[in-house]
Amino acid sequence: MSLEFLLIVAFGGAFLTYFFGKISSKLRDTFAVIISLALVVIISSWYKVYVEKTFYCGFMGFDSVLRLNSFSWFFAIAISSLTALSIIFSLSYMKGRERTDFYYLMMLLINAGMLGIVLAGDLVSFFIFWEIMSWSTFLLISYNRGPSLAAGKKYIIMSLIGSMCMLVGVMSLYAKFDTFNITEISNLVSSTSNGYILFLLIIFSITFGIKNAVMPLHTWLPDTYAESTTSFNCILSGMLTRMGMYGFLLLMYVIVGATRVLNLGECLLKFNYIFAWIGAITIIIPTFIALLQKDAKKLLAWSAIGQGGYMIVGITIGTSLGLAGGIFHTLNHAIYIVLLFMSLGAIQYRTGGERDLNKLGGFIKKMPIVFVGALVGIAGLIGIPLANGFVSKWMIYKTLILEGYPFLAFAALIGTWGCILYSYKFIHHIFLGQLPEKFKNIKKAPFSMALPIIILSLAILVFGILPGIVLKVVNRIGTSFGFESLHVNIWGIASETGTLNTINIFAAILIVGIIIWLIFKAAHKELKVDQYDNYAAGSAIPPNKYNYTVDYYNPFTKMISPYLKDIFEIFYLKIANKVQKLCNSTRKIYTGYVGSYIMYIVLFLAILILVQLKWGVF
Amino acid sequence: MDRNKICKWLKNPGKMAHKYSFHVVYFCTGCGIIEIPPFITARWDAERFGIIPVATPRQASLFLITGYVSTKTLKAIIRTYEQMPEPKYTVALGSCPINGGMYYDSYNTITSLDKYIPVDGYIAGCMPRPEAIFIGVTHLWKLIDMDKADGYQRYREDYVHYRANQEQLYGKMDWPPLFSEENI
Amino acid sequence: MQISEIILSSLLALIIGIFFLGLARKIMARIHWRYGPPITQPVIDIIRMFSQKGISHGSIFNFGLIFSLTGSFVVILFLPFGKMCPLSSGGLLVILYLMLLAPLGIALSSGEAANPNSSIGVSRKFLLALGYEVPLLLILLAVMTHYHTISLIEIVRIQANTGWSFGSLPLVLSGIAYFLILPAILGIRPFEISGAAQEISSGPKVEFGGKFLAFSTIQHALHEFIGISLFVNLFLGGWDLFGILEPISNTVWGIILGIIIFLIKMVIIFVIEIFINAVFPRFRIEQAMKYLWKWPTLLSFIGLLIVVLFN
Repeated sequence: MSLEFLLIVAFGGAFLTYFFGKISSKLRDTFAVIISLALVVIISSWYKVYVEKTFYCGFMGFDSVLRLNSFSWFFAIAISSLTALSIIFSLSYMKGRERTDFYYLMMLLINAGMLGIVLAGDLVSFFIFWEIMSWSTFLLISYNRGPSLAAGKKYIIMSLIGSMCMLVGVMSLYAKFDTFNITEISNLVSSTSNGYILFLLIIFSITFGIKNAVMPLHTWLPDTYAESTTSFNCILSGMLTRMGMYGFLLLMYVIVGATRVLNLGECLLKFNYIFAWIGAITIIIPTFIALLQKDAKKLLAWSAIGQGGYMIVGITIGTSLGLAGGIFHTLNHAIYIVLLFMSLGAIQYRTGGERDLNKLGGFIKKMPIVFVGALVGIAGLIGIPLANGFVSKWMIYKTLILEGYPFLAFAALIGTWGCILYSYKFIHHIFLGQLPEKFKNIKKAPFSMALPIIILSLAILVFGILPGIVLKVVNRIGTSFGFESLHVNIWGIASETGTLNTINIFAAILIVGIIIWLIFKAAHKELKVDQYDNYAAGSAIPPNKYNYTVDYYNPFTKMISPYLKDIFEIFYLKIANKVQKLCNSTRKIYTGYVGSYIMYIVLFLAILILVQLKWGVF
Repeated sequence: MDRNKICKWLKNPGKMAHKYSFHVVYFCTGCGIIEIPPFITARWDAERFGIIPVATPRQASLFLITGYVSTKTLKAIIRTYEQMPEPKYTVALGSCPINGGMYYDSYNTITSLDKYIPVDGYIAGCMPRPEAIFIGVTHLWKLIDMDKADGYQRYREDYVHYRANQEQLYGKMDWPPLFSEENI
Repeated sequence: MQISEIILSSLLALIIGIFFLGLARKIMARIHWRYGPPITQPVIDIIRMFSQKGISHGSIFNFGLIFSLTGSFVVILFLPFGKMCPLSSGGLLVILYLMLLAPLGIALSSGEAANPNSSIGVSRKFLLALGYEVPLLLILLAVMTHYHTISLIEIVRIQANTGWSFGSLPLVLSGIAYFLILPAILGIRPFEISGAAQEISSGPKVEFGGKFLAFSTIQHALHEFIGISLFVNLFLGGWDLFGILEPISNTVWGIILGIIIFLIKMVIIFVIEIFINAVFPRFRIEQAMKYLWKWPTLLSFIGLLIVVLFN
């Protein structure tokens, strides 16, 4: 099994799925599931393998290098398993839709592109796979037609700007060092000047910042997440956006190297400190914008932007604990945002696409498995002990506090409180409260939707109670970047300044919970009543109206909404409008009137004659 | 008042707790509601007996019907009574729940509350003063001691009879019967 | 040894918490110039609630309440109580996050009640929590930065050696800010917003009856205990009284005296809070948030700046 075999399976599988779809849809579905699961199996069999393979017949005369180390492996396994779960989820979600062959082709193509990105060992293949991924994403965002076309346009314009910046960076590296190979470049870059490194960091950060939705460059994300198909949202939010994180880690710790990045600048103007503050602003502002949303998918979209800030803060602080926290948070966030989008997708599937939070309610009685999935997802998002988000957030907080960055720690902690507010809003408006009359006969979620939800919930709990499973891999990534190793056990992290021992917490919660449950059972048995036998001061309960969802956090949202306009979106729209006006006025040169064309020629000849008379150039 | 007798607590803690912790549904109906704020505030302090008002019937154990009951209020009273958790006690203040009182010949008040919900005791008067309400509470303690304050059990056993009375007044009721054949 | 510490601290916390509820009602009554209920009245109430048959709206209605009470008990296990600290893991951050379990459990449970009163109550509870978390986080960060540790046991131990945090110069402003937001953390007037009986029919507890109400009362008692215990541990030196207990700190007498001193400090703070409770009406939620984000936030922010510059 070699690396190029994996990529051939991935790409070939995508195109074969499309052709099988022309024959029969069941064949296509089975084949898509088999291909995605096969990729998971192949990648998981390469655990702890390090291989780097060069192809000398490469693209345009440059050598292509494919490389697998612990860093690539971590991202590859996350990408392939989340894609496999999304494809299983799509089996029911895309039933009865049009152009499903195209959908599966694009999903598998994006999967293959992302695998290519993490396996690429030289910058040309990195760029090629990056472009394949971006273009496939654009096509799949616009799958829904309607408002998603505008969202896709916004995405592709911003992504292209990012790709062009990356091309500039790659070209400058080639011009300086005459090679595209990442390992060779990383050896040579450490001897260049600070100014060149700063240029590299900024130009690549624009690309990866656009992809990862860091604060000034995030404006494509809310519309894109809101308008694409929910089953594609799983891949989009899970791993595609986090390709930007892969890029940041590749840039800062593989190409440039930890020592140069962490020493760039002095006292408060250090590059990593400023970048951490950008990450902190990315935590706070989108988290509070998510509170104001009425659309469930936009809420999750702004939440995804906010959580990306945690990852940025984690990796830019520059300690091994922070780096491990940031990388671990990438995986955790992928798991629970996929889980939340799947829960939302199950609800949309049964209600015919309803995603307005004010029109839903009370679905816990009808779809209990989806509710449990959403609850565990919320637990992970907030960072409750026992869920995996807690461990990664704990690591980030601890490193911020102990390294002496209390204001950054404050930003991160307040982000969690904003998280609690919008997570509860999400789960309350959809699952709790009163069930509207028109959804009285909703059926449960189908098996192919319930299965990924259950698997991901179990993953959250297992990674929360036994975080050592993932932390061992993350620790190896940290040591490969040159940081010191953490003392990682299966149940947590030991260090002299405060041990995290998740088994303690888990055992305490379990035992105390069982005791209290036994006391609960020993008391008088409770009477079950339905939602219409409720306190209303002696009046009858009005159906559909006895529910508080509109303006849920009202006094607070009124206080903060004037300050939370998305000024970057307004700014970019203004620029786009001005460019459009400029292009419009430039178009007016072509008047279509032959007389004006003759006048242009005569004017130009007159200018040439004037120049000859005056300065005698020709 | 035998709140301090520990051996009685050990023998039957549920009964003693019911006596000394009445949470009253703050259901304000009729003329008697003007007597309730003096009853629970600083001058005639009801909290020293463990009586406090609560907002919802789900948390309550004592229902004070403080005056005349119009047919419109009776619907709310029945709903509220059915929402209270068992064991629960009902005490009616004034003469109107007993026999109609001052409004015996009115077209929209009811003359006998016991036909619609079970009443454990009446405190006569028009309106009874807070001291009379205290004496009524001590009588209720005696009834609880003798196991005679069983209005909620009567409601459960004779529910058909009570429901028939309610339906005679209202015609078809908006809510289903509280006790069906299985869970009596 | 550890098992006995676990059981002892849970039981003591439960008893002290319920004692605080009764003490609150008695002191309020005496301030109102009336006799008031006996101090054991909450015990009578809880016994009565357990003997009633409550209603349930579904499985999360039950599970949420169990979850929230579990969360409160688990926090007690992680807090230093006198000299005992049964479990320790990850320090103050873990405690801060375990304190989230209780409101979330009540929020889930009351959400299934499908009553808008409970939804309003929960939204106000979370908004109030956001309100006091801003100054509280700044205060906690100041304490953690000043002592260079995230472990609460370490902070208490350092205070035993170097004096109360309230008295050490960089942390005075943070201590004052913490005292200003303590009524909001405990949920007593003027910040008794989420459980307001008159405005929203007791908020999340609107459909709780019988054993559910008993659990909710016990959870409220434990929440008060946790709030005051955190303040005493962080700023008033925990179990120690200016270092006089240092020589006998590891004997049984030392532990018992430590617990007694800890409880005396808690009772004093609690009585001061009850005095505040007696004279204020309730704020509206926007008034509460504006208050919490004005002076306490300013004081704690300056406190954090002082600590950062001091180090």
